[in-house]
Amino acid sequence: MKILVAIKRVPDAETTIKVNPEGTGIVNAGVKWVVNPFCEIAIEEALKIKETKGDVEVVLVTVGRSESQEQLRTGLAMGADRAILVTAENLDTTGVSRVLAKIVEKESPDVVFLGKQAIDDDSNEVGQMLAQRLGWAQACYISEFNMADDAKSAQVVREIDGGMRTDKVMLPAIITADLRLNEPRYASLPGIMKARKKPLEEIDGASLGVDLEPKIIIKSMAPPPARAAGRLVESVDELINALKNEAKVL
Amino acid sequence: MIDFELDEEQQLIKETVTAFAADVVRPAAHDADETGVIPEGLVAQAWELGIIQNSIPEEYGGYGSTPSTVTGTIVAEGLAEGDLGIALHLLSARLVVDAVMHAGSDEQKKEVLPLYCTDKFVSGSAAVLEPQWNFSLSELQTSAKRDGNDYVISGTKCYVPLAKTSPYMVVFARGEEEPIEAFLLKAGTPGVEIGEREGLMGIKACETYPVAINDVRVPASAKLPGSARGLLRRSRVAQSAMAVGVAKASLDYAIEYAKEREAFGVKIAQKQAIAFMLADMAIDVDAARLLNWEAAWSVEHNEDPSREITLARSYTDNAVMTVTDNGVQVLGGHGFIREHPVEMWARNGRGFSVFEGMASV
Repeated sequence: MKILVAIKRVPDAETTIKVNPEGTGIVNAGVKWVVNPFCEIAIEEALKIKETKGDVEVVLVTVGRSESQEQLRTGLAMGADRAILVTAENLDTTGVSRVLAKIVEKESPDVVFLGKQAIDDDSNEVGQMLAQRLGWAQACYISEFNMADDAKSAQVVREIDGGMRTDKVMLPAIITADLRLNEPRYASLPGIMKARKKPLEEIDGASLGVDLEPKIIIKSMAPPPARAAGRLVESVDELINALKNEAKVL
Repeated sequence: MIDFELDEEQQLIKETVTAFAADVVRPAAHDADETGVIPEGLVAQAWELGIIQNSIPEEYGGYGSTPSTVTGTIVAEGLAEGDLGIALHLLSARLVVDAVMHAGSDEQKKEVLPLYCTDKFVSGSAAVLEPQWNFSLSELQTSAKRDGNDYVISGTKCYVPLAKTSPYMVVFARGEEEPIEAFLLKAGTPGVEIGEREGLMGIKACETYPVAINDVRVPASAKLPGSARGLLRRSRVAQSAMAVGVAKASLDYAIEYAKEREAFGVKIAQKQAIAFMLADMAIDVDAARLLNWEAAWSVEHNEDPSREITLARSYTDNAVMTVTDNGVQVLGGHGFIREHPVEMWARNGRGFSVFEGMASV
């Protein structure tokens, strides 16, 4: 069996993000880059299947700058078998989903795991778009994944508004991981040493023959306005008055 | 010639260890300090990181990587940044594993190393320090005398970590041929008397014991044939790295606090008295780390690295005291309360300059 896990390089959640003076993007200098946390969960789920099912190859793929191989190495150190880096810059979600569809065609995995969304632009689109392009089933925001013994289907629990929903999904399928699916492991030291020797293939995005032109153009980027400081009020009356007349929420 | 950038592997190791230290070790530090007990689950999880097994050759059941001494300092600093007492406990296996790997005979390697390659945590112990007036390593009072095919070892040791639970203890003694010799003693060797757990000022999470060695007779094969002095050098570098980790913890905590805490309408980080203090702390941490990296590098590249090690050790021992003391000061009255970890780091950091005295090995 083969599992493909698509991952993304994103700024660490604790990094302070600054918008560049031109307002076209963020300042890259001084940013600590990590594997998108939801993608880490996706990797972990694939590795857990590998551990329980045995004969499973876990292949990682990412689309981005050549620096993204740092994140692929992290995934390899966690235990994935090999990795593919498609080099391309300034893609939007449509471009990424086109590239991934090509890679899926090439690799023909039995299941594809992704994080439900990346914590940088929070688009939450790539998994769904990819399923549409491939004509595959999709199960998004899953918090539980159980593959049937014959590996032809899987039972998933999805987090939906107001509760959980259990679905059976036919494989191959696109699965996107939610926060509670699992707790990703730390890469072990032996895993890190082994990762160096694992294959990492680099493919030029332009060579795939797909439209990489972004359909979404970022017009401008700006930090959120600073919040005004809070204020202590003397009495309940004053509070109600402020909520009514200043905040206008009552 | 000069490159301060970690390689990709070291970078990943650093990320793994610092993440583990921040997510798992640090949250357990306060309670471990109060109760003197380290949760078993934490120890098991740490063992899965493969820190010890990684460097043991494949023929003995390990993973056969040969991480450099510099990489070793990255691991030690990272774990100690989480908590020093817990880090000492987790890395205790190294006291035995490193001793056997660097100074042991083939027989000793075959006997000992596989024991440390299972999936269960195994601790290690080393009896180095002695309750003499200067705790000097260069004038050990514990003696090892050759008697036929045996050695007879006698003396008194203190600060012996995990003496009660470790399958092996490396005992350092003044030999007849060398001023410092090392012996591998099995748990339960007759004549080795382990006292009551010591009550310490810091590193309360880590068990240490006084050990009396009363005319203990061991076969000549218990002696580690390699350089005992070399082992102490490595351990001093590892300890310096942990001192840097403790200082770093205090520095980062103080910075975050100073950026949040307001006095007279501004964040205290904007007050010069605090800002200068934080800057000095940062300089101390970086300088200590760089000196220690040089010392670690020298262990592998220089015939005699004692100058580099002594300079690094002397600087870090002082730096960790100054930095953790300032950490308490930045928090002011709040720093004296046990709810904040800075007082614990000040106690933990205080030990380094007394652990190994000022002796130059």
